Amino acid sequence: MKYSNPQIPEGINVSDRHPLKELLILLGGALVLVVVLSWILAEFGGRLARLVPFEHELSMAPDSLLSSDAPPALQRYLDDLAQRLQTQMDLPKGMTIKLHLSGSDTFNAFATLGGNILLFRGLVEKLPNENALAMLLAHEIAHVQHRDPIAGVGQTAAVQTMLSLLFGSADLSILGSAGLHTQLSFNRDMERAADATALAAVYRVYGHLAGANDLFAAIQAERRRTGDGELPAIFSSHPLDQERLDAIIATAKANGWSTEGSVTPLPSQFLAWLRQSQQASILHDDAPAKAIPESPPVR
Amino acid sequence: MIELIVFLILLTLGYFFGQSAEKRHYRSIIEREARYNALPAIASRYPPDDVNYRQALVTGNTVISVDYFKRFIAALRNLFGGRVTSYETLLDRARRESLLRMKAHADALGASMVFNVKYETASISKGAGNAIGSVEVLAYGTALIEPRD
Repeated sequence: MKYSNPQIPEGINVSDRHPLKELLILLGGALVLVVVLSWILAEFGGRLARLVPFEHELSMAPDSLLSSDAPPALQRYLDDLAQRLQTQMDLPKGMTIKLHLSGSDTFNAFATLGGNILLFRGLVEKLPNENALAMLLAHEIAHVQHRDPIAGVGQTAAVQTMLSLLFGSADLSILGSAGLHTQLSFNRDMERAADATALAAVYRVYGHLAGANDLFAAIQAERRRTGDGELPAIFSSHPLDQERLDAIIATAKANGWSTEGSVTPLPSQFLAWLRQSQQASILHDDAPAKAIPESPPVR
Repeated sequence: MIELIVFLILLTLGYFFGQSAEKRHYRSIIEREARYNALPAIASRYPPDDVNYRQALVTGNTVISVDYFKRFIAALRNLFGGRVTSYETLLDRARRESLLRMKAHADALGASMVFNVKYETASISKGAGNAIGSVEVLAYGTALIEPRD
């Protein structure tokens, strides 16, 4: 008996499709899938998270925010201003606002879980009058009132769960950034809503809107100073400053609110208080700013 | 951003080095297959009984690693299903290389054919999280060596 092995032709066991073509088709499909699913799940996650009772949210609040660098007089002044705004905003029962001032140079302010609002000296010291400060506070209080921080957590949790279910432990986490773009636009809607609520509150407190746009003017000035290319990351999710200034004028017109009036000056010791807070932050040098990336930066 | 850059570099490296390694390997496989074609390797368990052959166990073992690019495509395939073509070449190469090494072993012993050829396949670093996986293929058989007169 004669034995022999035939020569097997190439290409039977192996596909001759170009790997790059396959990559493009698969990657395109995966991106579409991730973007669509992220959008749907972020929407659902946000809505569901808003149903979490505020009392539960309190236990999720970051502990790092519990201290404030503000001297007692400044803290009293800020709390008082926030209280005046809150009474005009009909916060739900049991919702409490806690203000914290960090003495650090960061140009930022944000609301996070549990009704905690963190202001940074870097931003506050650029505000020319109380009306601008009130606009900033009212904007952050509006975020708390709209449950935006917990909604942000819900959105992120939903999208991340979906991504980890889809891709498991494979190295496809890179596709996760596709989900960011959908989240960005949600946050813009949240910002617009917070601006609108804040504007109404500022109007009810002062009887006019003069000075409210000084907040955005200050942000715009900071943006110019740092150069357009290097925006503080927190502003990327915010509507354009000009857009927000225009919205103030439009809202004022639509409601017949006056944008003219005399602005309320800040207390005479305001800058001295801020300097004290700066020293306090240097002294105990556990700047809350370091703990921030872990909490959702919803401004 | 850094993550994305590292990822793209790994993907590009995987693609170019993986492709060139694969091409080189296939050239070598095809060339050696032609050389060893005269030495049959048969799956039958019943050797010819015309000659009183000497027998010897011959083995050929290959481990091939998957590159980052192939792994990424395969991971995407997990999503949509279908032929995991990027792993097909890997297994094809490992199988043929193992058979060639087994034949080289038999040839060195002066065998005229190999009977009862079998394959074992194992995945190395299976379940080891993000480690790049490798595949091992072992080919083994009974070499039949014609007795010296």
